Amino acid sequence: MRVESIIYIYGAVCVSMIVFNIVYNIILKQSESSLKKRCERIKKQIEVQFDYIKTNGSIEQNHLHYMEHSLSRVSNLIAFERVIKDAINNGHEEEVNKYIGQMHSVSLYLAMVYSRRENMQAGYFTYFLSNYAVKKQMPIDSLQDILLSYVKKDNLYCRINALSALYNIGNIEHIISALKIQDDGVIYLNQKILTEGLLSYTGNYHKLIESLWKNFDSFSEHTKLAVLNYIRFKTGDYKEKMLEIMLNKNAEKEIRLSAIRYFGKYYYEPSLKYILDFVYNDDPSMWEYATVAVSSLEKYSGDEVIKALKKAIQSPNWYIRYQAAQSLDAHNLNYNALFDIINGSDRYAREMMTYRLESGKLQKVGSVKQ
Amino acid sequence: MTDAFKTFFNYVGIFFVIYMIGYASFLFLSVAVGSSMLYKLKRQNKLKNELSGDYYVPVSIIIPAYNEEVTIESSIRSLLALEYKLYEIIVVDDGSKDNTSKTVCDAFNMHIVNRPIQRKVYCQKEEKVFETYEYKVPITLIKKKNGGKADALNMGINAAKYPYFICMDADSVLQYDSLTKIVNPVLEEGNVIAVGGAVRPCNGTEIKNGRVISYKMPNKILPCMQVLEYDRSFLAARILFDKFNGSIIISGAFGLFKKSIVIDAGGYEINTMGEDMELVVKLHVFCRENDIPYRIRYATDAICWTQAPEKLLDLCKQRRRWHIGLFQSMVEHRKMFMKFKYGLVGSISYLYFLIYELLSPYIEIFGVFTILLAFAVDLINVPFMILFFFIYVIYSAILSLTAFFSRIHTIDLKLSLSDVLKAVGLCVLEVSCLRFILAWTRGSALIGYKSKKHSWGKIERKQIELK
Repeated sequence: MRVESIIYIYGAVCVSMIVFNIVYNIILKQSESSLKKRCERIKKQIEVQFDYIKTNGSIEQNHLHYMEHSLSRVSNLIAFERVIKDAINNGHEEEVNKYIGQMHSVSLYLAMVYSRRENMQAGYFTYFLSNYAVKKQMPIDSLQDILLSYVKKDNLYCRINALSALYNIGNIEHIISALKIQDDGVIYLNQKILTEGLLSYTGNYHKLIESLWKNFDSFSEHTKLAVLNYIRFKTGDYKEKMLEIMLNKNAEKEIRLSAIRYFGKYYYEPSLKYILDFVYNDDPSMWEYATVAVSSLEKYSGDEVIKALKKAIQSPNWYIRYQAAQSLDAHNLNYNALFDIINGSDRYAREMMTYRLESGKLQKVGSVKQ
Repeated sequence: MTDAFKTFFNYVGIFFVIYMIGYASFLFLSVAVGSSMLYKLKRQNKLKNELSGDYYVPVSIIIPAYNEEVTIESSIRSLLALEYKLYEIIVVDDGSKDNTSKTVCDAFNMHIVNRPIQRKVYCQKEEKVFETYEYKVPITLIKKKNGGKADALNMGINAAKYPYFICMDADSVLQYDSLTKIVNPVLEEGNVIAVGGAVRPCNGTEIKNGRVISYKMPNKILPCMQVLEYDRSFLAARILFDKFNGSIIISGAFGLFKKSIVIDAGGYEINTMGEDMELVVKLHVFCRENDIPYRIRYATDAICWTQAPEKLLDLCKQRRRWHIGLFQSMVEHRKMFMKFKYGLVGSISYLYFLIYELLSPYIEIFGVFTILLAFAVDLINVPFMILFFFIYVIYSAILSLTAFFSRIHTIDLKLSLSDVLKAVGLCVLEVSCLRFILAWTRGSALIGYKSKKHSWGKIERKQIELK
């Protein structure tokens, strides 16, 4: 009897699996056709509102109430997004902007509704909001406050999309608050995502950077790095501040390295002395500083720089030699200037320089042919 | 004497009931979790819970090649068609006896360079290095003395310029979005040190510029059965192991690794036939012993298409090789078995691979001999045995089909009625026949394996037809 019962259990599992397969297949087939029907229905309603905008300049109040109710269902929101996307692709961007521009109350209502939903739906709502429903400098403080609550959710995509919506709106105060909230350590937000997000901000970036500096010490190292990368990509106007960070021995290693990289992108005469100090520092534990410093010297010229690079290419550290060869090549020195390395007694330096020159030539040929 | 047989069969019966309950439960759990994860992923994509920006983590793609003159050019061209910006391609010719290097040099206008390569992990010395920058991304070809696949991969790691590397087979093709997908776990989670991609048999599939133009079941029976087997055994089980950071296999055909941690752990082990599994187990051990927080992930949507063996002999060679690799990895890292320090990897993952992968062929062969013996001494209930076998076949076949259809439904592939019927018919054949042939093959794999430890174990494969 015991064995039979095992067989019955297996049989039951088999039957339930078959039922699951069949039911899911039916649901899948139906969901696509019902989405199409929803899209058609919403499209008709929106087209009527487009006509109202053309004639009266505004949409119907009833329509707003209807949309609040309708878009509270995520399946309708998906259909709505699809219709809006199609309208934009079909050249109706202006009408869409005017239409969405009058939907603030709906957005606000939905923001409240979806903030209470499960994370995946909340994530979708913030995606919708950041891509379609919020535009630069929208004066909707209450919506921004709700968006901050989305940044707190333990869903990565929800956080990314909510941050993106806040960058679109462009209120610096709220952006800073959001950056602080995401720094809670609950969900990991990659530096690249944070930096790319900041780069999507289209308002006055000087004002944003000033605020970021003001709050810099309150960020985690992870966020600080993203901020420094953003500033490096954006502008060379913060050299003094970066020099201060580069020279701050109490700052974290990656933060200081990021500051050195800044001077590899933007020339700043006062920084050269300190960059050279890093290059001449023979302490093996400081090799990362030396490597980044050597790389930054691509931007600087003069005998002093070449001398430092020639010293660096003889470093026992492979990475320093590699970067030094790259920087020397970037200075376009002639054969005579590199003679002492190419024909020198240091085999490692010779090999590295020779390779870099060969590789550099191939890269030039390659960039012409591409 | 009869009493002795009865006692023996009684114990054997108890053992097999426990064994089968364990296996059936695992199979059910893995297919249920695997399928639900696939459906969850589909919903997640529908609700745009995905990374949509252009976030590029720099990646070096390493292709170890040995006698690949037929496939290597098309493999590199398919890599150049990938929709990703920041990567480099490194081909390591492991002392091929054919014209692999010449084919690459001629096809891509490669130039010889005197490139110094730092030995961060052990490998044979390079003989020549070629480079070109005339394409979308830099291509490097390293010709070296023969040392085996692991040695070639180590050379690739030494030459890689970027912080993450991908290992792949020379005769596989990556789907157009596979790099974006395999990198996503690194962006989504901190501490990710390795990500396994989903390897799928491409026999019968039409691929153009890395995109699937038409999907159908292979015409031949053997690859068709492997398609079903891949979904049940690999896809579902790996998703389950991924849930508790317990994956101990990332296929050598497509995996992403954090270079620095692989170097710290010592790179690929050159004295093993299963270098892919060995590396992953080694990473678990290394991180746990050094208290390094880590995650090893499995990306079901990062797809690599590969040619499944079409001849039984080739399939047996492949499985023999996998089994030897499994044996070597498990013996090498036996210290992690049931040790608290190694967490669920040392208990659940290790135990599963020990009992249901490494020892299963021997247990199954033992089971068959017991049946024959019981038959000889007339101590078997034949109708019940047939019923039990029938139930086993139906159960396994249905789970295979569930895994298969879950994958098909969740990636919006359309199958013809003939393909559906083919899948239904062949899954029965797979669990009732192929499984036993492969059990015998795996059971005999360890005989004389030591003499083949550096062999590439080549199997006959056709070039993947790319449109």
